[in-house]
Amino acid sequence: MTNIQTKRELNKEFKDVKYILTSSMRAKLLLALYEIPKNLDELRHELKKPSATILHGLKELETINLVRRAHKYYELTSNGYLLTTNMIKLIENWYSLSKSETFWDNHDLSDIPEDIIKNIYLLKDAEYVSSTTSDLSIAFNKYIQLISEASKLQIILPIYSENHFKHLIDLLNSNKLQKLELIMNKEIYESIHKNRKFQKELLKHENVKTTVIDKDLKIFLTYGEEFMALTLFFKDGHYDDSQILIGHDQNSLNWAYELIKYSRR
Amino acid sequence: MNVHNEINDDIKFLAKSEIRLKILSELNERPNDIRGLVKKTKITYSSVSSNVNKLAENNYIKKVEKKYYLNPIAKIYFKTLMDFKKSIEIIQVYNSFWDKHNITQLSINSIKNITDLKNAQLIETTPLDIYKTHNTTKDQLIKAENVKAIFPYLHPEYPELIEEILINGGNVELIVPKDIFKAIISPIDESLKNRAVKQKRLKVFTVTNSLNLYLTICDEKMSLGLFKNDGSFDQNRILISNDLKAYEWADELFKHVKHMVRQ
Repeated sequence: MTNIQTKRELNKEFKDVKYILTSSMRAKLLLALYEIPKNLDELRHELKKPSATILHGLKELETINLVRRAHKYYELTSNGYLLTTNMIKLIENWYSLSKSETFWDNHDLSDIPEDIIKNIYLLKDAEYVSSTTSDLSIAFNKYIQLISEASKLQIILPIYSENHFKHLIDLLNSNKLQKLELIMNKEIYESIHKNRKFQKELLKHENVKTTVIDKDLKIFLTYGEEFMALTLFFKDGHYDDSQILIGHDQNSLNWAYELIKYSRR
Repeated sequence: MNVHNEINDDIKFLAKSEIRLKILSELNERPNDIRGLVKKTKITYSSVSSNVNKLAENNYIKKVEKKYYLNPIAKIYFKTLMDFKKSIEIIQVYNSFWDKHNITQLSINSIKNITDLKNAQLIETTPLDIYKTHNTTKDQLIKAENVKAIFPYLHPEYPELIEEILINGGNVELIVPKDIFKAIISPIDESLKNRAVKQKRLKVFTVTNSLNLYLTICDEKMSLGLFKNDGSFDQNRILISNDLKAYEWADELFKHVKHMVRQ
């Protein structure tokens, strides 16, 4: 047996997390009351449980000051609202991760800072596109299609890829792409610079801004006004162009923008 | 309710056992073998060993040459769970600050990032120092070069404090209720005020409906005050911080309120 002292400490350390997350009833009640106060009838109807079970759960939540009763209605207290918001964040974080688990699990995430990883819930509506053995370029083609619609792009560029550069130059020359910022380290910058064509038509293009950073980020992130796209490296250090995560919603854009800000910091 | 709007079994599997959480938190620090885990956690060998097996079966950890490692994706799952734990701690540590207070003007994102306030300090008045909260924010305002503030009420010292910042060449951005706009702005020297507005060093946004948040960002120091549920401002408590995370948190909140005001 683990001794009592150790048990007590463990218990104390994780008590609240355990109390909230392991009871379906308590967690469900907090979620049910999140948007608006509800009475017992409404809760019974929504949760499809007998009154006694629901009342018991409500009582428990009242005791720890997460729920309060106002006349016949139950509502979250300020603490209850703060906690439930963060519980939803946790649920959405796990949902986001499990939805694209193959994508996250296959790649090196060590260059994405912890604060940004912890807000991965923002990517809950993003989708990942994977190439198949019969078509190896699905992800790349999807990417080209996305950037060809954009008028403004910011890119964290961790690779030297003539294929990508040619497409970007075409878009710049067709005047569709009017603002492009390339964020890269010195090594990438110098490699591009060595190539005359790319130096002239990409780095020196009037609509291109280059930002040279000290960090060596293994993140290929493209941030446009209407989409974000992320590709990563395998854990062995090789770039993977076969899987791409794409988001079009405001939350995904916010997530990506945080990463852009971080890269320049 | 959304399909994913409930606690899934994976979360429960981890949250159910303090021992598993403890083992993960140790392995998150550094990989270890069972013997090492027993030594670090003081949990019995048999408990550690059976839970390590369960964690491995469920793909949270992997054994590589005698030592157990957290799988990279498990590391992230675990971190988000610990982030939730930290948010509960922040709610509890500052319980008297949140409890029975109006938090409706905090943005959802600021609540989701509440752990950014982990190094904040709760300042409360005492019978021997009943102006402690006011003096704390005043002190921040006096020393500040640049200020962003949401003032839901007027304190007679504010106009002078703002004037002083403008004289010293600083920037001031305010969000105030419409009915105190005049009272806060008119005492400030006319030509100084006009010059500052022209140079975009003074910006004031007014709100017609009620403001129930007090926020100052003085250079990189922030302080936050709330209204009680009965509608009165709680003069006896503020949350202050001078670390970067809290500053960014406050800045986002300021932007959010400004955005709401302008709509």
